[in-house]
Amino acid sequence: MNRLSTLILFALLPLSLAVPAVETNTELAIIGQAFNSSDNSDAADQRLGLNLQTRLTHNTKSGNGTFVFQPFVSWDQRDDERNHTDIRELNYLHAFDNWEVQAGIGKVFWGVAESNHLVDVINQTDALEGIDGEDKLGQPMLRVSRLFEQSTLEFFALPGFRERAFLGPDSRFYLGLPIDDDKAQFQSDDGDNHVDYALRLSGYAGDLDYGVAYFDGTSREPSFIPGNEAGSVFLPYYAQMQQWSVDAQYTKEAWLWKLEALNNEQSSGSYSAAVAGLEYTFFGLRDGVLDTGVLLELHQDSRDDATNVLLQNDVFIGTRLAFNDEVDTALLVGGFVDLDDESTSLRVEGSRRVLTDAKLSIEGQIFGDIDPENRSFGFKDNDYIQLELQLFF
Amino acid sequence: MLNKSIQTLVLACSLAAFTTNVYSETPEEKGLAIITAADERDTGWGDFTADMEMVLENRAGKQSIRKVTSRNLEVQGDGDKGLSLFKEPRDVRGTAMLTFTHGLDPDDQWLYLPAVKRVKRISSKNKSGPFMGSEFAFEDLGSQEIEKYTYKYLRDEVCGEGYECTVIERYPAYENSGYTKQIVWMDKEHYRAIKIEFYDRKEKLLKTLDFKGYNEYPGGFWRADTFLMQNHQTGKKTTLNWTNYEFSTGLSDKDFSKNSLQRLL
Repeated sequence: MNRLSTLILFALLPLSLAVPAVETNTELAIIGQAFNSSDNSDAADQRLGLNLQTRLTHNTKSGNGTFVFQPFVSWDQRDDERNHTDIRELNYLHAFDNWEVQAGIGKVFWGVAESNHLVDVINQTDALEGIDGEDKLGQPMLRVSRLFEQSTLEFFALPGFRERAFLGPDSRFYLGLPIDDDKAQFQSDDGDNHVDYALRLSGYAGDLDYGVAYFDGTSREPSFIPGNEAGSVFLPYYAQMQQWSVDAQYTKEAWLWKLEALNNEQSSGSYSAAVAGLEYTFFGLRDGVLDTGVLLELHQDSRDDATNVLLQNDVFIGTRLAFNDEVDTALLVGGFVDLDDESTSLRVEGSRRVLTDAKLSIEGQIFGDIDPENRSFGFKDNDYIQLELQLFF
Repeated sequence: MLNKSIQTLVLACSLAAFTTNVYSETPEEKGLAIITAADERDTGWGDFTADMEMVLENRAGKQSIRKVTSRNLEVQGDGDKGLSLFKEPRDVRGTAMLTFTHGLDPDDQWLYLPAVKRVKRISSKNKSGPFMGSEFAFEDLGSQEIEKYTYKYLRDEVCGEGYECTVIERYPAYENSGYTKQIVWMDKEHYRAIKIEFYDRKEKLLKTLDFKGYNEYPGGFWRADTFLMQNHQTGKKTTLNWTNYEFSTGLSDKDFSKNSLQRLL
């Protein structure tokens, strides 16, 4: 997204406040990260970041239309490559009797798993905002939904491809490959103007929640091709792909059984991938208040290539604690183990409310013995701990 | 019209109660008859919305506030549908919970997480867990279907602000309740809950809930403005202040769907 245009839009925000019945929600996040200092790179051992986003919503008088505008700005104290702006959402949704039409920049989520979002393919990952893949870039879209009693059929036309950003050697979480992302290559002659299409049926039947989807368009995940003869720089290459996916969750008592699976066809070949898992919660421990969840998720990818695929044969084991207190204290601790090369990492996420309505979060990840051939080898010296204070206005 | 049919029903029910009285009704039969009459009175409301402010207070008197908008849809022949949209504290703003209650069967429940735009089916087993850190458990706020309990009539006495009340004990028939029994005081004129005592799994008095400020809404439906829940074991209390009750707002099944969760805010 053009930075200038986003800044102009931010500058226009006070104007939109003058429009009656616009609801405004602003979030300012102050993020401090500290890394273990064994890294030989020039990347800083500490960094401070600020993220600002505002969400404006307006409902039309009839109640059938909704405008949403959500710009986002991220600033980093030390690392210019992380400074970026994005329009997370700028769209209008109109609800008819059994139909909905949404046009503009939007975000959707597909899937059920916790440790990876395999089938969630509409929005590009905002790779500058962390390594967990939770942050997404706004995607231009036209979405038409047909609503049924227990399901929804959605058609997406996606004009305008969003490229993934890559960090350089002076940044933390540099993957170890010099990438020139200003010169991305596309399989389609239309380049980043290729219009992608997707179709999804999702709903529930009894204890089963399901989604079946088909996507035809530009892969959100690039491969890398040499950018010169010396091989000293690489270019992202975005292939065309056709992908079928299913995601399902079966909820019974305290058990959640989860599955995401896909089949992906590209001109270079096809592959399948899946994540299957479960979550069991012990409710009401410690005087009936503490909930303790146990998570197990198994990741498989038919490419069987640990160097190019992060989760080709990996297991995630974790526990989730919800203290159910007045400040919503929650903690998630989990570890990934690569079953092929035994690379490991341990991740912690915790949060609680502070002051009246601010939120303090802690996040950290420790990379254990990472195999030099493993995709995450570049992260091995990036053990970090992060404190984040989110303020809401 | 509706009012009249309800009156007829109530009359029929009280006649039935009178008739069975002659044949020495058991306390269990009498308890069920009274609850059935109360349920008849609160049938036919269709849908309503209301704003709920929740004031949590710990033993030291420190308060914290939650605000939730509540939408409710009456379902004939099954439990009701409910949608709670969280407004405050602001860190959970936009989070929403959709619940389809089903009498004795487990409820269906979905949570919407606005930051990631994710609708997540969650386990509804957690009946006894606290709602938003308050003294209200999920089971205290759920739709109260007749078949969720078995009943026993205890006595008549004056309760609340001088109401003539019936006192009924009820025992959860659904699984995973945090209670062995509840004692309900209900006024005889309008069948409104005035007070409920909750007894924990060890049969000790855990909490008392007082309903205050009843108003009658069109159609003859009574709703209390204030629910005060006091926990006798921890000294904590939670007050629910209800405002903006609106009935027959035109909500339908469509407004209580997984899809609808995503466009609330």
